[in-house]
Amino acid sequence: MNQKQAIKVENIVKHFGKDESLVRVIEDASFQVDKGELVALVAPSGAGKTTLLMMIGCVEEPTNGTVWLGDKKVYDNKWLTSEIRKIRREKIGFIFQAHYLIPFLNVIENVTLIPQTNGVPEKKANKKAMELLEYFGIAEKAYAMPSQLSGGQNQRVAIARALANDPQIILADEPTASLDIERSVSVVRLLKKIAQEQNVAIIMVTHDGRLLPYCNRVLKIEHRQVVM
Amino acid sequence: MINLAQKDVKYTLGKFLVTAMGVGMLLGIVLIMIGVYRGMMVDAEVLLDDIKADLWVVQEDTLGPFAEASRIHEDFRDTLRVIDGIQAAEALTFQNIQLPKKPKPVRAVVVGYDPFGSILPINQKRMVAGHWLNKDHYQIVVTDKTGFTLGDRIHLVRNDYTVVGVTHGTVSSGGDPLVYVSLKDAQDLQFSYTNNRIRSDRARGFRDTDAFMVNTIVGKIKPGYDVNAVAKEIRRFKHKSVYTAEEQKTILTKNLVERASKQIGMFTAILIAVSTIIIALIIYTMTLEKMKEISIMKLIGIPNSMIIKMIAQETLLLGFLAFVFGNIFSHLIYSKFPKRVVLLLPDAWILFIIVIIASILASLVGIRKVIKADPAAAIGG
Repeated sequence: MNQKQAIKVENIVKHFGKDESLVRVIEDASFQVDKGELVALVAPSGAGKTTLLMMIGCVEEPTNGTVWLGDKKVYDNKWLTSEIRKIRREKIGFIFQAHYLIPFLNVIENVTLIPQTNGVPEKKANKKAMELLEYFGIAEKAYAMPSQLSGGQNQRVAIARALANDPQIILADEPTASLDIERSVSVVRLLKKIAQEQNVAIIMVTHDGRLLPYCNRVLKIEHRQVVM
Repeated sequence: MINLAQKDVKYTLGKFLVTAMGVGMLLGIVLIMIGVYRGMMVDAEVLLDDIKADLWVVQEDTLGPFAEASRIHEDFRDTLRVIDGIQAAEALTFQNIQLPKKPKPVRAVVVGYDPFGSILPINQKRMVAGHWLNKDHYQIVVTDKTGFTLGDRIHLVRNDYTVVGVTHGTVSSGGDPLVYVSLKDAQDLQFSYTNNRIRSDRARGFRDTDAFMVNTIVGKIKPGYDVNAVAKEIRRFKHKSVYTAEEQKTILTKNLVERASKQIGMFTAILIAVSTIIIALIIYTMTLEKMKEISIMKLIGIPNSMIIKMIAQETLLLGFLAFVFGNIFSHLIYSKFPKRVVLLLPDAWILFIIVIIASILASLVGIRKVIKADPAAAIGG
């Protein structure tokens, strides 16, 4: 097995419904993403980008195939562990189109929620969270509520939350969709920096072709197949 | 570890408190309803407890004098006095009357008793001003609830009565205020008619015999005598219905008040059921409002147990706060009710247990929603 491998998908298939209402979304897709890579996933609307992302993130169960996260096979025609939520909590960071912060938790609580759930002591989790917030230039907002922050600030908090559990993988579903091109480029540059500095594999779903030059590689979904 | 319920409640504190107050008012009404029931039971026994009679002799085959009309001759008192085992016997009358008062008359129950007799139907501890009757005519003792005070003159039928005493907390089994006049005055009020009516009755050949009737003769037993044995003797030879104090209490609480108390019990049960449904609906709505956040939490890996704990804690807190508000609310308003409301601590504890059980049941609705929540729904699948 490749030591750099962070995600490996083999012959993955996803169908919704059955018989006459069967919808084939992904057919026999195989690809690999290495640690330190920022990979863009592009496709027209409804082509299955988010579905593919959710299958990698152990949220959506594939119909068939094999999924590896790091050196661990997590899916082989069935989930190989009953603790898929624990895998999500410990190995994966999620970034969404909207920030999706928990509105009743302040910034630092949002960032430390997963580490604390993973058993990291509050002090240690807070220290790490403050480092991340400083890194993203929003440390002074640590005790503010999400409703008191701008959209851009909230998105940076969401990225800090995704990094707080030292994930091996970050799955970003159109993280720049609501931003202008300047801010979008800055977010993508930031993700690339994170991927390189923290040796994290990042898959970023995007519609915006202008961001592709900033990514290491581009994966496309064409005719239900994933192509490089 | 972050306590999600604490954070969520803090974030929506105003809304949470107002919701708890709303449910609390509902629970307050439940407590008041229970208090009204307790009040009825207390009211039913006030007169019996004050008179402290061992035996109640009434018209044969009636449940008098409270549950059914009863008329017996006043002189039966003298017959009763010579029966072996009887220490004292006195005649009493009871009748409903409207006391003239502005802006509107006061409905009351008049108790007629012999001011010089051996059984005083007024509990001395309830006297708050003046004294009990000491003349045969034209004196009246009222309860403070009537609004009359010492020295007031009350015109009844053909005569003026002077208020010589004021009591507190004396009510009839129906909750109406009690007033006391002499037996002679009471008979006059109850059985005497206007001059026109008397002339009309005489023309018809009727005699004015009712003036010597009373509603009951009450007796006290000599020490060492069995009240049931004495009652049996009177029943056998004197053709009267006789009730011991216990039996009279049963007639009042079971026969007279039971239907009303059952009605209140039904209302209380319905209110508790409604409160449970409302708490469940509130929790369900609160959970629905958080479905997006719950899906996000599930998506990023927060275990169900943590989210369920949040819902359960919030539900229990809501139930507890509602119970506290309910108690405050009921204690603030209970004295404003026209009839007696008795709030007892054991009733409050029973309601507390019911509220907690109801809250747990209500939280199951929200918890079921949490378990079913699809994490993929957070991003639209």
